[in-house]
Amino acid sequence: MGNRVAIVGIGQTYHKSHRPDVSQMELVNEAVRPALADAQMNMKDIDAVFVGNMETFEGIYLPDHSMVDFSGAYMKPGFKIASGGTTGCSILEEAFHCVTAGIFDKVLVAAFEKQDSGDSTGAITAATTPAWGKGQARGAIHEFAKQALSYIKHSGATEAHAAMVRLKADKGACRNPYSHLKLGLKSIDDILSSEPLEYPLRLFDFCPQSCGACAIIIANEEETKKITNKPVWIADTICVHQEIFRAGAFCDFTGKERYSQEIAAERLYKRNGITNPRKEIDMAEVYEPSDWEEMLIYELFGLCPRNEGWKLVEKGITEIEGEWPVNPSGGVLSTNPIGATPTVRIAECVLQIRGEAGEHQVTKDVNTAFATALGGPNWTSMILLKKSV
Amino acid sequence: MANEPAQEYIQVTYKKPRPYRWAAGEYLSRLYRECRDNKRLMTVKCQHCNEHVWPPSKVCGRCKKPSGDNWVVVSDKGSVVQFTYTNFPMFDPHVGKYMTEEHPFATIDLDDCEIYWVAKLEEKDKDKLKPGMRVQAVWREEGRGGGLDHDILYFRTIEE
Ligand SMILES: [Zn+2]
Repeated sequence: MGNRVAIVGIGQTYHKSHRPDVSQMELVNEAVRPALADAQMNMKDIDAVFVGNMETFEGIYLPDHSMVDFSGAYMKPGFKIASGGTTGCSILEEAFHCVTAGIFDKVLVAAFEKQDSGDSTGAITAATTPAWGKGQARGAIHEFAKQALSYIKHSGATEAHAAMVRLKADKGACRNPYSHLKLGLKSIDDILSSEPLEYPLRLFDFCPQSCGACAIIIANEEETKKITNKPVWIADTICVHQEIFRAGAFCDFTGKERYSQEIAAERLYKRNGITNPRKEIDMAEVYEPSDWEEMLIYELFGLCPRNEGWKLVEKGITEIEGEWPVNPSGGVLSTNPIGATPTVRIAECVLQIRGEAGEHQVTKDVNTAFATALGGPNWTSMILLKKSV
Repeated sequence: MANEPAQEYIQVTYKKPRPYRWAAGEYLSRLYRECRDNKRLMTVKCQHCNEHVWPPSKVCGRCKKPSGDNWVVVSDKGSVVQFTYTNFPMFDPHVGKYMTEEHPFATIDLDDCEIYWVAKLEEKDKDKLKPGMRVQAVWREEGRGGGLDHDILYFRTIEE
């Protein structure tokens, strides 16, 4: 076991589809400054800066190099990670590895996406290999349309259940000052009557494209004690790759392979002595590109038996006031700055554990939470956070 | 100062496509040659687990060992497992235009090999799409080598 590591500072920007008023660098700076202020630190206190971004989406290479003045990396070590949807979690995992191993004492992680710069879906379809359907693939939305069809077929969930998930997300987003879409949805009918996007997904069933950045500062135990009296400890992290996917799908048709989410959760729980996540963990911020995917995620992370995720929704268990809240922030369905999307999940868990989430603070006490990320050909990253270790 | 105009923000725009050449390598080249020259799908069956490795690869990801060279022909017929279609125009970065003629996409369970492949369907009438429908590849007259779109137009509904 390495050094204990805690999150000592967080900062995020507000989110919007277009930010012509700032450059990529200025956007990142908007998250770095509040993170430093939150930790009551200066850049001189930081040992290294790690950047998370899917640079093919903006079409500008080495963004971490061009923004050293704005991320604070000037004359400091660091690197950039681009791992698709998991980027914003992978970057924190690597920072955690470095601090727990004693390589650095204090690391600043800055993740961002400025989706008004390029065409993210175009980058996904064009920058993939011919073997994965270059020029033919339809990006993330296509995968989650198929996931929804699979879920309908196997679980018996209806469009109304997906709409309930979306309604829950909007309720959270409307109370979250940083969220992108605040739709003010009144009932599931608002979702069920939104325009068709990609069958069976409707406009409101899927995540938006956001511009935004999120920064997190982590430190080893000794430094943490000097920095803050409200640390949130990183108990563990895990990453599972599932690169051999048979048809570019976020599911397995053969029934022979298991989902990366399921395997990641199983390993994380086992390593941390968790036998019943519904009892031993208090809440989660998960990576749900669609409302249908969120219901499947409940099952894969062991919150309920397979094909019963929709029952949690029906009973209101995952609502802000519910027994086991999921995505009180409004989640990815409301806010999706791709490279920073999982970083926002982690920062939101930190707010909940500190009890500082304001209007979207969950009703129950939060001592333990996990944040997740999903991306690429079905990769899963998870981070387990605790108030005390 | 009172008459100072609102701040104008500039966005510098570029529209040129970026050409790219992707080396398919030893195993994929074999598949693509078969597609182009013989209008058929081929892949390798792993010498350790005996499963079809798809797309063909020198290494079996499951066994983490060389997959060997037991090349077999794979059926270009199959059953639709899932399908979906877009209701908005999709930008095609390869030609720099929005696609106008949208075919539905399906995950097709190719016969007798447990290969699930995503490809276009010829049938555009949404009411005629259903899981389990039988389809077969319609090959381009002049294959280009590259699989999928390069050699196959779409999958056509077949009666059996
Ligand atoms: Zn094998």
